[in-house]
Amino acid sequence: MFDFSIVTQWFDALLRETLGLGDFLSILIECVLVGTAILVGYALIACVLIFMERKVCAYFQCRLGPMRVGYWGLLQVFADVLKMLIKEIFIVDKADKILYLVAPILVIMGSVGAFSFLPWNNGATILDFNVGVFLLTAISSIGVIGIFLAGWGSNNKYSVLSAMRAAVQMISYEVSLCLCLITAVILTGTMQMSGIVEAQTGPFKWLIFQGHIPAIIAFFVFLIAGNAEANRGPFDMAEAESELTAGHHTEYSGMGFGFFYLAEFLNLFIIAGIAATVFLGGWAPVNIGIDAFDAVMNYIPGIVWFMGKTFFLVWILMWIKWTFPRLRIDQILKLEWKYLMPMCLINLVLMTVVVALGLYIK
Amino acid sequence: MEDNKSYFGEIGQGLKTLAIGMKTSWKEYFKDFFTNKSTEQYPENRKTTLHVAKRHRGRLVFKRNEDGSYKCTACTLCEKACPNGTIKITAHMAEDPETGKKKKVLDDYAYDLGDCMFCQLCTNACNFDAIEFTNDFENAVFDRSKLVLHLNQEVYAGGSLPNLLEGGAEWQVGKFNTKTK
Amino acid sequence: MKLEFLSFDYDKFAQEMQNLKDKKGFDYLVTIVGEDFGAEEGLGCVYILENSNTHERCSVKMIARTKECGDGMSSNGTGEMDGQMIPYLPTVSKIWRVADLLEREVFDFYGIVFIGHPDMRRLFLRSDFKGYPFRKDWQFNDKYTLDDDVEPDYGLEFYFDKDGYLQTKQNKLFDSDEYVINIGPQHPATHGVLRLQTVLDGETVKRIYPHLGYIHRAIEKMWEGMTYPQTLALTDRLNYLGAMQHRHALVGVIEEAMEVELTDRIKYIRTIMDELQRLDSHLLYTSCVAQDLGALTGMLYGMRDREHVLNVMEETTGGRLIQNYYRIGGLQDDIDPNFVKNCKELIKYLRPMIQEYMDIFGDNIITHNRLVNCGPMNLEDCINYAVTGPAGRASGWKNDVRKNHPYDMYDKVQWEQCTLDGCDSMARYMVHINEMYQSLNIIEQLIDNIPEGDFYVKQKPIIKVPEGQWYYSVEGVAGEFGVYLDSRGDKSPYRMKMRPMGLSLVGAFDPMLRGQKVADLIATCAAIDVVIPDIDR
Repeated sequence: MFDFSIVTQWFDALLRETLGLGDFLSILIECVLVGTAILVGYALIACVLIFMERKVCAYFQCRLGPMRVGYWGLLQVFADVLKMLIKEIFIVDKADKILYLVAPILVIMGSVGAFSFLPWNNGATILDFNVGVFLLTAISSIGVIGIFLAGWGSNNKYSVLSAMRAAVQMISYEVSLCLCLITAVILTGTMQMSGIVEAQTGPFKWLIFQGHIPAIIAFFVFLIAGNAEANRGPFDMAEAESELTAGHHTEYSGMGFGFFYLAEFLNLFIIAGIAATVFLGGWAPVNIGIDAFDAVMNYIPGIVWFMGKTFFLVWILMWIKWTFPRLRIDQILKLEWKYLMPMCLINLVLMTVVVALGLYIK
Repeated sequence: MEDNKSYFGEIGQGLKTLAIGMKTSWKEYFKDFFTNKSTEQYPENRKTTLHVAKRHRGRLVFKRNEDGSYKCTACTLCEKACPNGTIKITAHMAEDPETGKKKKVLDDYAYDLGDCMFCQLCTNACNFDAIEFTNDFENAVFDRSKLVLHLNQEVYAGGSLPNLLEGGAEWQVGKFNTKTK
Repeated sequence: MKLEFLSFDYDKFAQEMQNLKDKKGFDYLVTIVGEDFGAEEGLGCVYILENSNTHERCSVKMIARTKECGDGMSSNGTGEMDGQMIPYLPTVSKIWRVADLLEREVFDFYGIVFIGHPDMRRLFLRSDFKGYPFRKDWQFNDKYTLDDDVEPDYGLEFYFDKDGYLQTKQNKLFDSDEYVINIGPQHPATHGVLRLQTVLDGETVKRIYPHLGYIHRAIEKMWEGMTYPQTLALTDRLNYLGAMQHRHALVGVIEEAMEVELTDRIKYIRTIMDELQRLDSHLLYTSCVAQDLGALTGMLYGMRDREHVLNVMEETTGGRLIQNYYRIGGLQDDIDPNFVKNCKELIKYLRPMIQEYMDIFGDNIITHNRLVNCGPMNLEDCINYAVTGPAGRASGWKNDVRKNHPYDMYDKVQWEQCTLDGCDSMARYMVHINEMYQSLNIIEQLIDNIPEGDFYVKQKPIIKVPEGQWYYSVEGVAGEFGVYLDSRGDKSPYRMKMRPMGLSLVGAFDPMLRGQKVADLIATCAAIDVVIPDIDR
């Protein structure tokens, strides 16, 4: 398996030893490079996702989707991004200016922050703390503040309703989300992202195989709760275009709206990415214990595995979104507090028992 | 509904209906993956696979005899029948050189396509079978004044598309033609 | 139905109306027609009533009295209308709740004030509109303002004080600390320019005030200046999904008045066309319910199949929305040569598809949770608020005009009136689904047997209708659609009034939705099937 840390170490050595830069300068250059890489990756993946969403949704609905800009509509997203960039950004007169302006930035910050935790390849985890999962959930929940502020700051009645909904929904679902991650952590024994993936390499070591029943339950609950956390259908209460026009971002134009739009799609990707990392082994390839097969699988780079798994989950989430009607706010909360959360707690106990008695696949 | 079902029975039932929904959209997604689509690609298909019903009301035209002459006698019945005042007929009295009888001669038959609501009252009112609606639908222009058509002065030679007046391509209930060729 | 008016003494009017409801069982107020009967009789109203059990109809004509508002001195009310001569009638809105909006409509157009009605605001026109446009002596004035229309935040109530003076008082619409939100007029879920001024408490709806008229075109007033054939052109612009039925009601009333005998072929084709139109509308309805609940895929499956219904109709009528097919004495054109074949294919295609809508949306647990117990209204209230059509049938009210007052072929074919007793939005949705199957059945029975004959019975070039009053109704796509015709023997009607399907449905929103969630408002709005151009006319 190719280890990306070879590249990073080589580059670090290049800065420090060949060029002879000090600690400060080399770390600065590395940070800038990594930061740029994150942002570029973020933007590119957003474009891919938007295009994918359009085509997948169109095919579910027996449509063709965008067909005009470029062959098969391939340039449609770039046209849209360009349009959004050159649109006027207006500020609503009676809005609370500071909150109104800060909100999209907070949303995108939470999203980019969480994005940086994804383990792309062996040795290519950008933020790799020992409390990784813990920090990840903390950072990703900054987004809810942004959405709430956007709704409140716009001084629009629809937006306020939407902000209330978003806050109550996202805070509720955070509970299940974290419980599912903790369930996984019990099995892996580490909160570090690279460690979690590390624990899943080897034949049938992916968490949903390793942890069988409790892990599978946690996986599905995680997908549902993550879907709700990303504010996607059937949980798109906050946006609910047929009820609240556009919810919290009704009053935003241009890139103000663009940030919400980007964050929405990237949150989808992040949820799928974390699910892939924690439950489907991240960049870990399919190994079944037969050497020849495993060798071939290991030859495929980790990033392909990671992206493949993530986009597969993204497709599943789109399939869900484009099938179901939206729930009502009280039903969403009922689903969380009456069904998902109790299930997660029981599941947590179950997982503990499984691990304590060593019933997992070793 | 909630009360007479058990907690778990409800979950089971609910999951089943959700699964049926997922199955249905799955089926539509993968069934004839490349052809099971309903989007028609206008304008790419305008000269190929487009179908326009023959009776579609696109615009009013004069029916012409084979020699190109029209049947309108400027009786203004259509003008009176029109609820919108879409038709303006100007005519003058002239003596027919052959019979010597005085007869109305049409000067201008102005039809404002922009005002027309395609109610067919004018064609119903006409006693001389002089006007009809055709399914020629591509009537957009950049200037509103161009919508005022002078039917007696134009020589209408079929629609803007080949084969349009016969309805264009074939169609069939339950099928879409999403191709452009 | 030719109308034979009952007339009552003014003083006994309220009591007699109460008797009609309580003793004779006329519990369904079909419509109130305001009318300017001319200089001699003055303004007045025609009430058309129906017994919901026997389906017997009767009509009452009542001429308004006139009195000067206020006591001539400083007023003890608000003094808003003081000094004006005001025609008035007692309100019946406490007997039939549907009269609430109907009386406001009459007030809006004729200025007739209903004593005891708590909310005499204009319904369709701007509140700064001067005059009452449907009166015969009203002069059209091309001056209009683009200023903001300052809406009153109170409803005006007229009453007689103890000295017998006509006085006004203001009833506040909102408390000062209420959270009022406008759903519409530009809102994705109101299917047009309907504005529901909603008082919210958090997510819970406390009160709804409908504001109408954003697409009001005064079609009834326009009709008064048109010849009979010309009037037809406007019916397709009401509920654009029920073009056939609307025109059917209008040609029906004119043909009945003129005693035109139609051939069987015309009746067969009209019945088939009505049912195709119903399929078209119901397909859009089921799609829109899905869309308003956020299930866009379910919506597009319905829209996809509706395309085929429209194609079949378009080959014959030449229209997709504006059908333009019926005319006085028959049809615009004979059916397309392929019509029979296409219809059969359509039936074959559509039957399994309806199950697909149920699979992806209708049977879904989320849909059930959203729609069950959403916007409930029981049978008694449904009749009282005149919630006709599928919405009323969902509460068990057998109100299908096709059964109760059969026209054309409806009494000769086998079909069932779909009623359910869920009384909620889910039942409304299911009634629509069931009706689609029934429509397919009706078409299936007729399509092979269309008899030979003329498709048009030749009429005189200038159509005049003999003197009299008629009311003719058909089962529209979302309720009873009727046309009242008052003819004075001219070539244009003296007064024509429609009974729109949606107006009473909008009036029922408030009682249905109090205490429900905002999301339920959207769901109910979708499930009850309102189309705004039909309400506003």
